[in-house]
Amino acid sequence: MKFTFMCKQQATVPGRSKLKVAIIGGGPAGLSGAGFLVCQGYDVYVYEKNPLAGGLMLFAIPSERIPPENVLEGIEELRDKYNVNFITKTKIYGNSKPREDEGDHLVEKIVSLKDIVDNHDAVLITTGTWQSRRLNCPGEKGPGVLTALGFLYELRIYEKGFTKHKPKLGDRVIVIGGGLSAVDAAFESLKAGAKEVILAYRRTIKEAPAGAHEIRKLINKGVKWMELISPKEIIRENGRVKAVVFQRMRLGEPDETGRRRPIPIPGSEVVLEADTVIEAIGEIPTPPFEDGYLGLKLDKKNRIVVDEQYHTTHPKIFAAGDVVSGPSMIGPAIRSGLLAAKSVHLYLNAKKLV
Amino acid sequence: MAVNTDQVIYLRYIDLDRCMGCGTCEAVCEFIHDGKPLIKIYETTIGVKVPLSCMHCSKAPCIEVCPTGAMKRDKSGAVYVDNMKCIGCMACLYACPFGIPELNTSARVSMKCDLCKDLREKGLDPACYVMCPANAIVYGEAGKVVESIRYRKAERLVKARLEGMVTLP
Repeated sequence: MKFTFMCKQQATVPGRSKLKVAIIGGGPAGLSGAGFLVCQGYDVYVYEKNPLAGGLMLFAIPSERIPPENVLEGIEELRDKYNVNFITKTKIYGNSKPREDEGDHLVEKIVSLKDIVDNHDAVLITTGTWQSRRLNCPGEKGPGVLTALGFLYELRIYEKGFTKHKPKLGDRVIVIGGGLSAVDAAFESLKAGAKEVILAYRRTIKEAPAGAHEIRKLINKGVKWMELISPKEIIRENGRVKAVVFQRMRLGEPDETGRRRPIPIPGSEVVLEADTVIEAIGEIPTPPFEDGYLGLKLDKKNRIVVDEQYHTTHPKIFAAGDVVSGPSMIGPAIRSGLLAAKSVHLYLNAKKLV
Repeated sequence: MAVNTDQVIYLRYIDLDRCMGCGTCEAVCEFIHDGKPLIKIYETTIGVKVPLSCMHCSKAPCIEVCPTGAMKRDKSGAVYVDNMKCIGCMACLYACPFGIPELNTSARVSMKCDLCKDLREKGLDPACYVMCPANAIVYGEAGKVVESIRYRKAERLVKARLEGMVTLP
C-alpha cells in the first residue's frame, strides 16, 4: 500500500518541516493521514501500541484477505523514504491509569495524551475500536470464552513471532455473530483444526453484515451456519465450557438500521455443545482519553465527537477512522483519515498566517 | 482513433476473487477527485461487492460515438475526456456497456476514470491500484498484467483441485 500515493517525495515548503504532527494509532486511517501530511512536508510522528503499525490490517484480518507484505511495504516506505517517525509499543492515554483494551499485550510504554499535545503542533487521533462488545450472559466469565478480536489478535502476534503462546481452541467452536469479525474467526477456527465450527446469528443470512456470499463461502468450507438463534447462557462443567443455550428468534419490523429486528420466541430453546465460544458481536471505539479530558467529548457509543472537518472540541486535536465512526471498513477509515489530515494541514496553514 | 502498435499499452484489471469490497479504491479516488469517486463499489443482491470503473476498452465505443471528439485515448491507452471539447451529451454513456461515464453537473461535461492522468504525469501510478490492501487491482503493461493474472488463476486451479482431495500434501 502506497500511503503517499499523491507525491513522489516529501514537499519542501519553508518552515513546514519544523511543524510536528502526532498521529495516535497506525491503522488505515492514521497511515493514510501520515501519507498525506508527509507529502505536504510536515514532520510526522506515528504513535502505535503494537510493535508494528498497520492496525487491524496486520493484527486481526487473516492474511488470506490482506497479504501482510502489502501493508508492511507501505509502512517501510513511509519510514525509510518519507521520514515518518514511528514510535511503537507505546500507548497514549489521557489519564494516569490507562483503560485496558484488547491488543495491549505488547505495550511497553505509556505516554500521556497531554504530553503529546504539548509537544506537537497538531494531533490526529485514529485509535480505532480495540474493545469487543460482550454478551453479558451467565457463564460468560472464565476460560473457553473468547472475543473474535482477542482471538484474531493472538493468532496474528503468534504468527509474527511476537509471542510463543498460540491461542488454543477446543474441538467444537461456536462463533456468535454475523459480521466480518465472526466470519474471520470462524475461518481461522477451521484453519486451526477445530472439528466442528458453528456460526450462530440472531437474524438470517440476508441481514448478516458480512454478506450472504461470505457466509456461503464459509459453509462450503465446512462451517455450520445456524440463524435466528441468540445466546442466553453458557453452561460450564467443572469450570470448562460445555454448551451454549440459545433462544430461537423470529424477525419483526425493521429497526433504526433498516434491518428486521430479531424477536425472541418464548419457550423455544436450543442447546448446542461447545468447547470454545467466540463472541463476535461488534467492537467499541477506544479513544485515548475519558470523556471530558482536555475538554474532549465522547458520545454515548464512546465515539470521539468531531465537526465536519474532523476537528474535536480541542483546537489542536483532530480525530478520524473507526474511533469517530464506530466499526467500519478499511475504505471509510482511509477516507476520513485523509480528510482529517487535510483539515490538519488547513489548520496549520491558517495558524501560520496569524 | 487508431492506436499506434509500437506503444506500450497499460491495463488495469480488477481481480474479483481477491476483492473484499472494503472501499479503499473508492475512498482514495474520491479524495483526489474532490468528493467524486470514479471507481465505486456496488453491492449485488447476493451480497458480493463489486468495484466498477472504466475498463479503458481497446476498441472503446465511447470514443467511436463521441460527436465532438472529446473522448480520447492517451499514449498509455487510458480513455479520458477532453473537457474543452465535451458538450455533455452523454452519448458515451449510451454507448458504454458498463454504464461508466457520468455527467459532471457543475462543469456540464462527461466524467470518468482516466487512470489518474495527473498522477501518472508526475511519474506516479493510479491511486486505486497502489492503495488496494488486498492487491485486487493489477495495473501495468498489458502483457505483464495478463501474465500475473494467469499466475493467480493457476494457483486457484491447483487449490480448487487439491481441496477436493481427501488429504492435502
